[in-house]
Amino acid sequence: MFEIGYGDDGDIVCSGRLDAAQCEKALLLMNEIADTSTLDFASLEYISSAGLGVLLKTQKRLAESGAALKIINVNNHIHDVFRYSGFHSIFDIEAKEE
Amino acid sequence: MERAFARSYDSLAAIYEFAEKFLAAHKFSEPARFPVHLAMEELFTNMVKYNPDVTGDIDVSITASDNKVTVILQEYGVDEFDVTTPIKVDTDAPLDARTPGGLGLFLIQNLVDTLDYEYDDGRSRVIFTKKSGIKHV
Repeated sequence: MFEIGYGDDGDIVCSGRLDAAQCEKALLLMNEIADTSTLDFASLEYISSAGLGVLLKTQKRLAESGAALKIINVNNHIHDVFRYSGFHSIFDIEAKEE
Repeated sequence: MERAFARSYDSLAAIYEFAEKFLAAHKFSEPARFPVHLAMEELFTNMVKYNPDVTGDIDVSITASDNKVTVILQEYGVDEFDVTTPIKVDTDAPLDARTPGGLGLFLIQNLVDTLDYEYDDGRSRVIFTKKSGIKHV
C-alpha cells in the first residue's frame, strides 16, 4: 500500500511502499509540483529503483525552473539506498531520527 | 517455500507478503529484510520489463539455512540476460547528467551477498543470498 498527499503544513507526505506498481500514482501528484517542495518520508517504509526514478524525473523537471525537492524524515534503509545511488549530491536529504 | 507469480507489476504486493511471511517466521533480522525485498522486486520487475512478449508465470522460491536466506527466481521461454554482468553507474554525476533507470541491478549487485545466474535452453534462473544480522542495507 502506498499513499501520497499534501500534509497540513503543505509538505507532500508519502507513506507505505513505493514500488514499481505504485510509481504511476506517485507521478500523478509529483507532476503537479511546480515550486520548491518538501517530501516527508516519515511513514515511507520502502522505495525501489522505480521510485528513485520518479524522484529523479521530478527533480530534473524542477531544476529547469530553479526549483528543487527536499526530502525529510528518511528512514535508515531508504537513506542507505539514497547513499548507494549518489542521491545525496543531487537532493537535499534529512534523515529520520531513529 | 515456492510460489508462481503472474508476470505483472501487480504481483509485487503479493511477492512482498510471500517473502515477509517467510522472513518473519524465520526471525530474519529487520535490517536485512529490506535488501531481500528490494532484490526480489528489482529482479522480478527486470524479468517483466525485458520479456514483454512472454506470458508464463515467474517461479519464486525462498529458503533459509545457516542464518542466510536464498532466493531463486526462474522464468521460461526467455532470452539470456545475465544479471551478474557488472553495472557501472556514475553516482557522482551532476543532476543534468543523470537519467532515470539503470539503478536496479546496480543496487542489488551491491546489496546482496551472492548473485548467480544460470541459463539453459530458454530457462533463466537467478539466485541470490543474503545473511541476516547485518548493518543497515
